[in-house]
Amino acid sequence: MVNLTIDGVPVSVPKGTLLVEAVKKIQQEIPVYCYHPKLGPAGLCRVCLVDIEGMPKLQIGCNTPVAEGMVVRTRGEKVDTGRAMVLELLLVNHPLDCPICDKGGECDLQDYAMAYARGTSDVADAKTSKPKGVDLGPTIVLDEERCVVCQRCVRFDELIVGDQQLVLKDRGHKDMIATATGEPYRHHFTGNVTELCPVGALTSKTYRFKSRPWDLTRTQTSCTQCSVGCRMNADVRGGTLLRTMSVESDDAISDGWLCDRGRYNIGYVDSPERITQPLYRKDGSFVQISWDDAFALWAKALHDAKSAPESVGVIGGGRLLNEEAYLLGTLMRAIGVRNIDWRAGVQRQATPGRFSGTLEQLESANVILVIGASPAETAPVLDLRIRKAVRHGGRRFDIDAQNETAALMAARDARSVALVWDGSDVALGARFHELLSGHASLSTFIAGEQGNARGAEALGLLPRDTSLDTAAMLDAARAGTMRVLNLFGVNPALNFSDPALVAEAMRATPFSVVTELFMTETAKQATLVLPVRSAFEKSGTIINATGELLPVEAALEAPVGVLSDLEVLIGLAQALDIALPTEEEVRRTVIAAAAQRSDDAFGDARYVWSQKQAVQAQRRHLFAGGGTSAHDVRIAALRPADSLAIPVGV
Amino acid sequence: MPVTKVLTAGIGECDLRDIAVYRQRGGYVQLHRALTTMKSTDVLDAAEKSGLRGRGGAGFPTGKKWSFLPGQIPTRYLVCNCDEAEPGTFKDHMLLEETPHLVLEGILLGAYGIGSHHAFIYIRGEFKRGYEIFMKAVADARAAGFIGKNVLGTGYDLELTVHRGAGAYICGEETGLLNSLEGKRGEPRLKPPFPAIAGLYGMPTVVNNVETLAYLVPILANGPEWFSAVGTERSKGYKIISISGHVQKPGNYEVPLGTPVRELIEIAGGLFPGRTLAAIQPGGGSSACIFPENLDDPYDYESLAKAGSMLGSGAFLVLDDRTDFVQAAYNMVRFFAHESCGQCTPCREGGHWLETVLHRFVQGRGLHSDLEMLHRVSGTITGLNLCALGDSIEPFLKSVLKRFPEQFEARIQTVAV
Amino acid sequence: MSTRAEHFEALAARLKPACEALIAQYEEPRSALLPIMHLFQENEGFVSPEAMRCAASMLGVSPAVVESTVSFYTLFFRRPVGKYVLQVCRGLSCTVSGAEEIMKYFREKLGIGHLQTSDDGLFSYEEVECLAACDKPTCMQVNLEFFYSLTPAMIDEMIAAMRAGTFAVAPMAQTEQPGKTWSVKQDGEVSMGRKSLGATDVSHPNNAGGLGDASGLIMLDRFVNNEIAMRGRSNERLVQDASSVADVLGDHEHAGH
Repeated sequence: MVNLTIDGVPVSVPKGTLLVEAVKKIQQEIPVYCYHPKLGPAGLCRVCLVDIEGMPKLQIGCNTPVAEGMVVRTRGEKVDTGRAMVLELLLVNHPLDCPICDKGGECDLQDYAMAYARGTSDVADAKTSKPKGVDLGPTIVLDEERCVVCQRCVRFDELIVGDQQLVLKDRGHKDMIATATGEPYRHHFTGNVTELCPVGALTSKTYRFKSRPWDLTRTQTSCTQCSVGCRMNADVRGGTLLRTMSVESDDAISDGWLCDRGRYNIGYVDSPERITQPLYRKDGSFVQISWDDAFALWAKALHDAKSAPESVGVIGGGRLLNEEAYLLGTLMRAIGVRNIDWRAGVQRQATPGRFSGTLEQLESANVILVIGASPAETAPVLDLRIRKAVRHGGRRFDIDAQNETAALMAARDARSVALVWDGSDVALGARFHELLSGHASLSTFIAGEQGNARGAEALGLLPRDTSLDTAAMLDAARAGTMRVLNLFGVNPALNFSDPALVAEAMRATPFSVVTELFMTETAKQATLVLPVRSAFEKSGTIINATGELLPVEAALEAPVGVLSDLEVLIGLAQALDIALPTEEEVRRTVIAAAAQRSDDAFGDARYVWSQKQAVQAQRRHLFAGGGTSAHDVRIAALRPADSLAIPVGV
Repeated sequence: MPVTKVLTAGIGECDLRDIAVYRQRGGYVQLHRALTTMKSTDVLDAAEKSGLRGRGGAGFPTGKKWSFLPGQIPTRYLVCNCDEAEPGTFKDHMLLEETPHLVLEGILLGAYGIGSHHAFIYIRGEFKRGYEIFMKAVADARAAGFIGKNVLGTGYDLELTVHRGAGAYICGEETGLLNSLEGKRGEPRLKPPFPAIAGLYGMPTVVNNVETLAYLVPILANGPEWFSAVGTERSKGYKIISISGHVQKPGNYEVPLGTPVRELIEIAGGLFPGRTLAAIQPGGGSSACIFPENLDDPYDYESLAKAGSMLGSGAFLVLDDRTDFVQAAYNMVRFFAHESCGQCTPCREGGHWLETVLHRFVQGRGLHSDLEMLHRVSGTITGLNLCALGDSIEPFLKSVLKRFPEQFEARIQTVAV
Repeated sequence: MSTRAEHFEALAARLKPACEALIAQYEEPRSALLPIMHLFQENEGFVSPEAMRCAASMLGVSPAVVESTVSFYTLFFRRPVGKYVLQVCRGLSCTVSGAEEIMKYFREKLGIGHLQTSDDGLFSYEEVECLAACDKPTCMQVNLEFFYSLTPAMIDEMIAAMRAGTFAVAPMAQTEQPGKTWSVKQDGEVSMGRKSLGATDVSHPNNAGGLGDASGLIMLDRFVNNEIAMRGRSNERLVQDASSVADVLGDHEHAGH
């Protein structure tokens, strides 16, 4: 530890700590623009000036490590004069269009100008004119005049994303942020630059001119759009979800980032296409019915099948919260139903068992093998961890026929190995697990389809013993032996490897229930469609790909008439007159399930798939199971570009 | 007259670009001697003992700069800085074009001195002719066995890469130069780490000026004592001074450091008849002016620092009584604003702001409040910047603003009532 | 007839060995960026977008990185220039020795100003920073060859020789007709080159990050094309008919009514 004095207060911090971090120990702040804890010092903005005893010039706090006996002043006339000058200079050409700037109210330039700048200006000349309202790409707008050239966005692209799309062009006071001529700014993480930008130079198209930050109500929750479960803030104004923001301090899960899916696919909660009342199919068309009627119809169908519980199937769970998943299993088993499977797409397995690794293990792995679909698509922020590992010297192999041998050789000699898999081809997963099983420090990460797949598995939504898995249920349904199918938050008609089978199964089943936000391909074929809440409208927990139990908090009121899956299950239980576990019991079970590690994950009979076919190499769109796909009106219709569809399987 | 011909010896008398002529005059003897009879540390010792200081501008002791290289890392680079662009400086331009083999021998000696096997020279993009001349010199030297594998049969390998810039003054800053050499924008790097620890490609690197390295040749030939016997106590040896402006015979003059300022003017033919001296910018565009009261000061690092200026690259610009100092200040500030890389705030914004305001003064549209602002800003931005360029914007301006306030006041806009 | 693309392809193929030799001089390929751009400029008269893309792929960096680097250096012309690039020194040493008059003479004589190219595409004129020839003011470069101690008579002679095609310095390659200036307007630098009012003015519908996720894909055309109210959820298209439920449930279990 190094001992020093900051503003008269003795401080003790580890060797190598930068002053900008050390001052936080005494609840002091050094203003910064270019410095960012995740990007490191750059020494560009020169606003973090501090006075160090024995040094004639002011020093920058962002690149000065602590030294034993150092005496630092973060304020005082000398520091204040220097800082005031830097701020004055930053404001010389800044447009001061704060009244219409999205950043106004949460802008570091406003804040530091308020705290440190002179109150007057000597500027007598016109400000320089630079491009405004520049369309940088699908997500971001640039107002170059507001830019303070801190280069955080440029460094984010270079250091974190590893794909240098945003760069500086020209030089001197003509410096400007740009991409290659004619190229849109486009990758999986573009939205982060709007948060890194300390001013309003980079803004999101979805949020531009929508709100003042002080009018927003913030709720911290976890993103449920993939299995990473990034912590995020949901900002709501007047009942409308306007934006989601990363949680900078979330080192454990998101590392402080958010992908563009988590950030921008949020408009669906506001879609006019959401269903808000139970729909019942009558003579080929849907009619709106009351919830009481819906529960009654459903309960009757289940009651009628009571004598043959093997003719009832339950599919889904990966989009449910843990509490809902647990109640679903409990309720169905209470009426004798055994055919329960959360899987409705191509993913077969979500839990790597005893090989389950932490994100720290992933980012410090020496060799990372990626099999199946790219984690950049399935779990973008997880892919950032892999890139971080690569930045720190790790070797990444996206396995194909060419590099498999080299990858396995590298893995054999590596100190630590991480395996990242999409969970779809069980044989492939088992083979690599077998090949790497000798490795003491193997950690496996399954980045699959639905956000809470691991929670669904942990809470028992898998077939047991002789009960049917999803494929078998659908086969049985097509054969006419299924009487009731219950589908919770899944859209197999789009995602299952054999959509024709799904259609035939749905048609041949006398009573099928789907809980959904929208009239998805599957819902359209159901007997009863129940409108449920999105993850922004309910509270509970999920278990992410690394086994962390994460809270989900309601940030929004659900539309009138919409229930959560939990409420739906309670309603059904009441209609069936079945007692459900108490809240406390649910809580304890969920915590215990999250802590559980299975030893026999790979090759476990539960993951064996009844359908003979191998996973076909076909283009399909992952994640459509959420059903939010077609409904984000805020930024428009959702049509996957063909080139972006992911070939699944090998 | 103290003009001495060391590096400049032979220039204008014979074709030193011809390797045969250069060798006839004792060229490459020192390289041969060093490689065959001296350890590389002997070269370093000679540099250290001679008291040679960097001739590019900073005046840092050369031997000391070399000694910062960490011993345990075998890969290290020597980079010769020939990105001469400091306003008023034209010595490296001359050395490159007139005596390229001397420059080359200096580089090879320097590389041997620090134990490097790959040296680079970064030549200013505008010096196309100099580049071509130097490329020929390199080819001739390679043919003669001075460059490449197993130099002169000594088992020492030394590769040399000639790199041409493309128009950016800031690449004369050593870390800006290294970035440019790596194919990047010539933006100076944040220090620490310094190049001696992590320079080119992240490896220990020494960046030395052309003139600095060239002096290694006569220092080895004559012994370090020969060099250190000349000059003042802390400013040893000779220096090429680029004298320009209001003198009758502008040019490069090689003199012992410590030569009085007055004599330098005389060497360059003196002022034009009937003119009186107003100011001298003694160390390139980055330096503050000195004035007639400094005429008897010795021209060395310490005396100029004491007079509030600096020796810099040895560009000596004489300004007589017809000089428009408002125009001159604008010219100087515009240069730095144009050459600012734009990375750091004070330099990017400050330079441009000062330029804008001074442009108004040049047009006779200054404001009273501007004067106050010029004083305040020029008095504050130095010391806040990432590299020395930002600290170079104001010294000239501040010194003439203080000395010739009436010239600025005369450009304040008068409004008819 | 071959197109510009074909011409460039042929040029790139011809320069490839030279580029590879340049790359081989350095420990890291990217170091060869400046020399490679010099080479292309010598052949094309400017650094063309094609040349920058070609360099990016040869050096293994993104096109944005090459553009960023090239734009830093004033000797790289990102737009075509005249056959003779006249760069007159405006440094202080030259200025105090009469450079202003020389520059004025040039501007009048050529009829063009700083950073401009004459209509006939013969001359490009620029006033540049100190050229390091301060002992012979006013100095200048023509296609990077020095000329010293300029006088109006010398300038007359020089320009006449350039017009007559007898000038000592070879003209620049000129593969494309130059415009009025080669300096790049900042608006031309921005990625899409278009202004946006936000989500409502995006003519290139594409998705947010190619997430390959039908639920995460952000398509921007719908917002433009459909006047959709942001709020308000309506199921009006559905038939409201509670009686249909009663048919199924019969009497005994119809609880809610």
